[in-house]
Amino acid sequence: MKKYIFTLLLPLTLFANLSVAVSYPYIGALTKVIGGDKVDTVVLAKGNWDPHFVVPKPSLITKIRDADALIMNGGQLEIGWLPPLIDRGANPKIAINAKTFLDLSQHVELLQKPLSVDRSGGDVHPDGNPHFHLDPNNILVLAGVIKEFLISIDSSNSAVYEKNYTEFSGMWNEKLGLWKVKMAQKRGVKIVQYHDVMAYFNHAYGLTSIATIEPLPGIPPSSKHTIELIELIKKENPCCILHDVYHSTKTAEFISEKSGIKVISMPHDIGALESIEDLVSLFDYLTSAIK
Amino acid sequence: MKKIVLSTALCATLALAGEGGGSFDQSKFIPDISLIVDTSFVHRNVSNSDLDNNAPTSNYGNYGTFKEFNRDNGFNLNYGELALHSNVDQAFVLDAVFHFSAGSVEIEEAYFTTKTLPYRLQIKGGKFKSDFGRLNSHHHHTWDFVDAPLVYNGFLSPEGLNAPGVQLQWLAPTPWYMRVGFEAMQKGNGGTFANDFDKKDGEALYIGYLKNSFDIKDASVLLGVSYVNGLSNVKDADTSTQLYKGSSEIYGADLSVKNYFDSYSYISWQSEFLYRNMKSDDKLLFDDKKQSGYYTQLVYQMDESWKTGLRYEGFLQDSNGVKTTADASYKTSEFAQIRLQYSHDEAFKLRNENKAIDEIILQLTFTIGAHGAHSF
Repeated sequence: MKKYIFTLLLPLTLFANLSVAVSYPYIGALTKVIGGDKVDTVVLAKGNWDPHFVVPKPSLITKIRDADALIMNGGQLEIGWLPPLIDRGANPKIAINAKTFLDLSQHVELLQKPLSVDRSGGDVHPDGNPHFHLDPNNILVLAGVIKEFLISIDSSNSAVYEKNYTEFSGMWNEKLGLWKVKMAQKRGVKIVQYHDVMAYFNHAYGLTSIATIEPLPGIPPSSKHTIELIELIKKENPCCILHDVYHSTKTAEFISEKSGIKVISMPHDIGALESIEDLVSLFDYLTSAIK
Repeated sequence: MKKIVLSTALCATLALAGEGGGSFDQSKFIPDISLIVDTSFVHRNVSNSDLDNNAPTSNYGNYGTFKEFNRDNGFNLNYGELALHSNVDQAFVLDAVFHFSAGSVEIEEAYFTTKTLPYRLQIKGGKFKSDFGRLNSHHHHTWDFVDAPLVYNGFLSPEGLNAPGVQLQWLAPTPWYMRVGFEAMQKGNGGTFANDFDKKDGEALYIGYLKNSFDIKDASVLLGVSYVNGLSNVKDADTSTQLYKGSSEIYGADLSVKNYFDSYSYISWQSEFLYRNMKSDDKLLFDDKKQSGYYTQLVYQMDESWKTGLRYEGFLQDSNGVKTTADASYKTSEFAQIRLQYSHDEAFKLRNENKAIDEIILQLTFTIGAHGAHSF
């Protein structure tokens, strides 16, 4: 009898997909590309809200409760919301240091790592700027990391993951070439941001971020800082304010009114704007944003 | 004495953290340490002695009340709370909260939680805040108002259900969020289930609850029911006079709806109802009591900095009236909050006469160090 049950159950386990929970939509997209039809992905955060301030709703616990693996951005981007979910998820597979847990920030070089941290300097990330996925060159690195990760937990499908990765990297390399050409004449252009979300994009294409609308990381705009910023814009003449989609553009519009600077909405992830449906459209948009 | 040992231990750890390198350097293993300081200025129309000299059974009809925070008219240093958190190893997490207040140190919480149990089970043990109700497990610095609802103060004591014990929780494999929990706790935490100074002789509290949550678009709905039973052996702290002897049970029901507009602003409506049934051991000495109380509150978080709230609460039996509270708070960052609260409390009785309390509290709360994110 037992044998029968075993043979009945066997095909089920063989064809059961790996269920991978990921923190942000871009990680979900990469996991889907590499995992293909062998992996089901569950994305926790919404692409059009602030990645620092995801709400740790109980419904998200339900999403990670039965996951076989968890992939997160890291670099303390999830510090305000993922730990209480992991604590309450009662799922040993998503525990930090489990071999089914992946912190992507451990595999890329982080920019802007502060030499010393103090909260009088705002809500700084001690490990460096965590928005590394906005350098399209890093996307390729992350795809490789996710491929290795999936193979390490599901070696039986390694051929599928290798094939998907090869296809993706071929396509992506082509795109990288196109975006490079498009952005070549933007090198050296000065920009202003709300929060330094675009640091890696700027790094990749040689844009210079001269200031942020928030006076310190994570601290809402103040009138004193805004007035200083208007003076700086008049002096330095940056091309535009690259604004994230989730903060109010009220202050940016005020600055624009006083200095004539353009405000450009910059999606940071898939779903940030309705037209951003995948990784290619994200970078197509970003590389066309500065006219 | 406790204080000295603790602060010496803390200094030693901090000194260790400062040392770099060395063959036996362990500074990387330092736990998350944070300090929360809560201070306030209080102005109310009732003197401190009027509040203190009321027998606990007379203040709110048959409900006891003791002020834990904001006790004095004028300036108050409510507490300094030292919280530590770290993985013990691959199997356990350890959390501890040391509550320093004027003249005393208390281990508010010190508990382990398991990490690797199968079947979505988790066990917690040590001294911890019970998950009874919606509010009981939340720390003071995360509350939406300066003070706890009257029914919490009266039924569960200002510290809430917080005692040595053990907890088993199970996350059900349902399409929505459902958590079932059972707890057994040493009694003696004030409120319904006797005072701290009582001798404990294995008379446990038994607690059970069921919590559910689901989303409707950007709104999260939380629905919970809770139950606790145990012996009530209540004595007056100063005179040791027996105030009540019997067995009691409390039923709780809570409903919260929190709707997010964007990453920074939300409106939330939260209500709880508690029903207490006390059965006297000796009807000649003490009456059976059936009592219930409620609160309902609306909180609006406008943006990253501003938040405001309105609370309405009272009791259904032996009630003198209701209490209304309004507050507004401003955060300079996630780590500092200034709050102004006004309340008008008609549920209070002074020497058996109804006496409305009007109270204004200006509260400042600070957090430094590595403090973990709060759950929903």
